[in-house]
Amino acid sequence: MRNLFTPKNLRNLILIVVIAGVLILAISGYLTPIFSVSVSPLISAQSWISERYLAFSDFFGSPRDMATLREENLTLRSEVAQLQSEIIALQENLAQADILYTLLDFARNNPKHEYEAATVIGREISPYLQYIIIDKGSNNGIRYGMPVVTQQGLVGRIDAVISDAARVQLITDAGSVVNVRLKTANVEGQVSGSITGEISLDMVPIETKVDIGEVILTSGLGGTYPPNIFVGQVLSMQSRQNALFQTGSVQPIVDFSTLSAVLVITNFEAVDITPLVP
Amino acid sequence: MLIYIAYGMSFVLALMLQYGVFSRWMILSGSPDLVLLLVIALCLHQKHNRFWILILIMGGIVGFVSALPFFVPMVVYTAVYLVSLSLKQRVWQTPLLAMFLVTFGATILANILSMAVLFVQRIPFNFSEALVTIVLPAVFLNMFLAIPVHAIVRELSVWLYPQGAQI
Repeated sequence: MRNLFTPKNLRNLILIVVIAGVLILAISGYLTPIFSVSVSPLISAQSWISERYLAFSDFFGSPRDMATLREENLTLRSEVAQLQSEIIALQENLAQADILYTLLDFARNNPKHEYEAATVIGREISPYLQYIIIDKGSNNGIRYGMPVVTQQGLVGRIDAVISDAARVQLITDAGSVVNVRLKTANVEGQVSGSITGEISLDMVPIETKVDIGEVILTSGLGGTYPPNIFVGQVLSMQSRQNALFQTGSVQPIVDFSTLSAVLVITNFEAVDITPLVP
Repeated sequence: MLIYIAYGMSFVLALMLQYGVFSRWMILSGSPDLVLLLVIALCLHQKHNRFWILILIMGGIVGFVSALPFFVPMVVYTAVYLVSLSLKQRVWQTPLLAMFLVTFGATILANILSMAVLFVQRIPFNFSEALVTIVLPAVFLNMFLAIPVHAIVRELSVWLYPQGAQI
């Protein structure tokens, strides 16, 4: 029988017992202070080495990182610019859709008329004349003299037509005269344009009391425009001594400077009374 | 032929820009006239004896598109052409000065003719109001835009006339 307690085996056994004892002491926390004291210099050394390495690495690696960052920054900037342009395009589409929805709503609320929606594509070259160009013409059923409106009110009438475009004379044009009716006062008058694009009320009987803010509607007289289309509101009235009529300035309901889409009333035929005028 | 095509295309582009963009650029009630400026610059830089035909065609097109009477642009553009011929011989060393001179004169002429048309059509207007709110702003805007238009047409002429485009 072999002797188990040889000096070599005893040494190994003692070593195992010592390691087990140390492990048990370590697990039970008795060796923590000793570890702290002994590990602390190691951690400090490790920190020093790590810091120096990072510094070294930054010194040689940062230019490359900077270039990468710049590239990423450029890419992100271009993406931001692209997204911004998309946002602008979407906002424009939304604005256009809003206008079209409003025009559609107006058309639904006024079913007695048939409408053709058109986009404003240009303004008259001469500053003395107030005309716009729209993108619908005779191919879309547009004819000379048809009234043009927006959801807000009267814009003007068709002055010239070609196959895919038409020219509209605005009510602010110096040559435009619209027969109107004052809603509350229930009297008739005329709204005429000017070279500066302002409109004024005329031919209102001198004895009529006109309030500021009075609503002005088309009267339908003369057969140029259908009746009861909103034109604007009275801003002020003036009457001269011994004058037969009083005049006034009018705030148009339509903002002509930002006009972008209009409706042409296609089932209204203007009556040409020129031969009857003496 | 290339010259007429290039001038024609630049005219069409100017007309579209005028109707789409520059007619909305307003000071008071005056707006610039890009087409007139282009015609002036082309007249000052052209070197053809039959250029007046192109001028008449341009006047006809503007007269057709505009609500102005047909003859107004034709008269203004023809006058610009004739004055440019004269100025090219007299102030040829200072093309920009010639551009300013013709721009000023042509803008005033176009405004006078427009007012004359309103007067003949018995459309009431106040002359002093027109002067302040339309004529003066239009002159200012045209003079302001004359510089870039002159520069662009000069470059176009250098390209079309490689031997030199100075008037």
